[in-house]
Amino acid sequence: MAHGDKSNEKVVFVGDSRVRKGKGFIVPPDYTAYPGKSEAFIPNFLLKEWMVGVVVLVGFLALTIAEPAPLGYPANPNANIIPMPDWYFLFLYQFLKLPYASGQYVAFGILGVPGVAFLSLLLAPFLDKGKERRFYRRPVASSLMILSLISLFYLTNVSWTHYQNELKATGQVPEHIQREEEAREKRAKGLPTSSAIQQKEIAIVDKEDTAMETFKKAGCVACHAADLKGAAGPSLRGVGDKHNKDEIMKIIKEGYEGKMPPQYDNMIAQGITDKEIDHLADWLSKQKAAK
Amino acid sequence: MSNQNDHHEASQKPPGRKEMSRRQFLTYTLGGATAYMVSGAVLPMIRFAVDPILHKGSKGNFIKVVEVSKITNEPQEFSFELQQQDGWYSSTATLSAWIRKNDKGEIVALSPVCKHLGCTIGWNNDKGYPDEYHCPCHGARYTKDGKNLAVAPKPLDEYTVKVDNGWIYLGQIVPNKHVS
Amino acid sequence: MFKGIYNWVDERLDITPIWRDVADHEVPEHVNPAHHFSAFVYCFGGLTFFITVIQILSGMFLTMYYVPDIINAYGSVEYLQTKVAFGQIVRGMHHWGASLVIVMMFLHTLRVFFTGSYKAPREMNWVVGMLIFFVMIGLGLTGYLLPWDNKAYFATRVTLQIADSIPVVGPYLKELMQGGQIVGAETLTRFFAVHVFFLPAVLLLLLVGHFIMIRRQGISGPL
Repeated sequence: MAHGDKSNEKVVFVGDSRVRKGKGFIVPPDYTAYPGKSEAFIPNFLLKEWMVGVVVLVGFLALTIAEPAPLGYPANPNANIIPMPDWYFLFLYQFLKLPYASGQYVAFGILGVPGVAFLSLLLAPFLDKGKERRFYRRPVASSLMILSLISLFYLTNVSWTHYQNELKATGQVPEHIQREEEAREKRAKGLPTSSAIQQKEIAIVDKEDTAMETFKKAGCVACHAADLKGAAGPSLRGVGDKHNKDEIMKIIKEGYEGKMPPQYDNMIAQGITDKEIDHLADWLSKQKAAK
Repeated sequence: MSNQNDHHEASQKPPGRKEMSRRQFLTYTLGGATAYMVSGAVLPMIRFAVDPILHKGSKGNFIKVVEVSKITNEPQEFSFELQQQDGWYSSTATLSAWIRKNDKGEIVALSPVCKHLGCTIGWNNDKGYPDEYHCPCHGARYTKDGKNLAVAPKPLDEYTVKVDNGWIYLGQIVPNKHVS
Repeated sequence: MFKGIYNWVDERLDITPIWRDVADHEVPEHVNPAHHFSAFVYCFGGLTFFITVIQILSGMFLTMYYVPDIINAYGSVEYLQTKVAFGQIVRGMHHWGASLVIVMMFLHTLRVFFTGSYKAPREMNWVVGMLIFFVMIGLGLTGYLLPWDNKAYFATRVTLQIADSIPVVGPYLKELMQGGQIVGAETLTRFFAVHVFFLPAVLLLLLVGHFIMIRRQGISGPL
């Protein structure tokens, strides 16, 4: 070991406390036991490490420029899509399809094999306690690891190949590719390229109609607002989808489910004619969401 | 021999003033590499973050508001809707304008946003000061033309106005040009 | 001037030994790729850290545009990727970096395993390292859902189904992760919180532990 046996060291305390007086932040290990030339971390060694870092960064940036991160279509629970987890979960995904890891054995499939494997990986130093470090002198540990690696690669490959075959069989294209192509086509045509779901606001139909004046004059705006979006009362935009003209007329005359009092007599009292009210009801029944 | 590990101390003669020591050279190279790595990774992100301030404000489209025939010398409030795109979010904002004809017959559309602290002003809504715009928040007052009388530091902003085929169209909000 | 400020702080807090220890400690030859090309396998740990730093930075910048809400999440991701300058690169860094971090960490773990570096006295550091591995996997899992596209949605449904089939605790675990009866708005905000606050906090603590232990114990000797 790099550390000497320090049991003979004299312990010095700071002042009259029981705090041991240290020699600094950390006592650096002594590498004179190791053969060859050692060198300072900064700048000598870090420079070499950074050179590797620079190469990796250049490759990494080139990848981000060349290959946009995939993005499919907005999530839709009814979409017809072959679900695929990220690539590093594929082995587990495939493993859980095996006959003895699925169905009634699924608990074994989850806890029995991957659970035990990951737990033993976590506790490897306590399972493999020998002093020997070279892998070829640790046949059990090394062969278990190599076996796991082989099955990892095998399962990932099977899962991926299966996915590719299924895509081919169903004639599907992965969504992110489909979306990119669609966006490219739209861009060529000068259309907006977004696939996001836009929430359409319902517009007022026939905004310049005289009924709009009646609507304001009759005091409907007090609850339903001048832009028909509603305030104390509900929005009347698209009300024509819910009620036809006769129903609206009935609501004006008799009120609505105890929430809205009858308005007809009020309106007449304000000097609005029956004909105007009829026209207002007609106009409201035309308020439909654009298709 | 322990000093074979020490490149920077005993094994080399101290360099002259102008000479660069091996350690200095390595430090500079390391600094350069670090600078490259930091900038390579961070510059795209900085550009990404400041993108909104580099976008030019879009020129507002003109929006049909009201017939010219309805406009009088007395200011009237008209509201209109503006489709706005806020990043990925598109929405409809309801704006309003106080529109009147001034003495020269020009159509003036004032924005109802008080130049003091941004409350909404109203016309003739303070009995003590008839025929003025009044802001309920801190009592700012403006004339018919939007000239600031009290509290507010600047006259009310106005909309750019376009008249076409008997209709008034309003565009973007600009500083008031009708009062000096 | 910087020297003045530095000296002022140093007089009071004695910070010199901390960074001098990091800067001046000797690195032995057997891990130095300049001496033995095969020693590049010792670089994977450092590269994992480098990519992790890129992940943290790019993630911080992505949240400037991203919203964890099922109506706007997709739109905001699409917007930042296609409309914002360098959006493709920043999101690309975060997306591909997530894979790269797993690859690097995998290689680093294999190096430590096959050189037997986890043996006494470094058992604790191995355990901490494995915990970092699990946290990274968790980050990958939670981050996958955030763009709220079909692939994310269905992959998460599968993951939650797997959690569901764990005996006894499975159904509770699933509902806890899902935040309700369906994969929806509450799932997305939960995954966002875990991805952006909980796991990174744990990750930083573990990383600090990992590095302090490396400095305390030094690098393992040559085989």
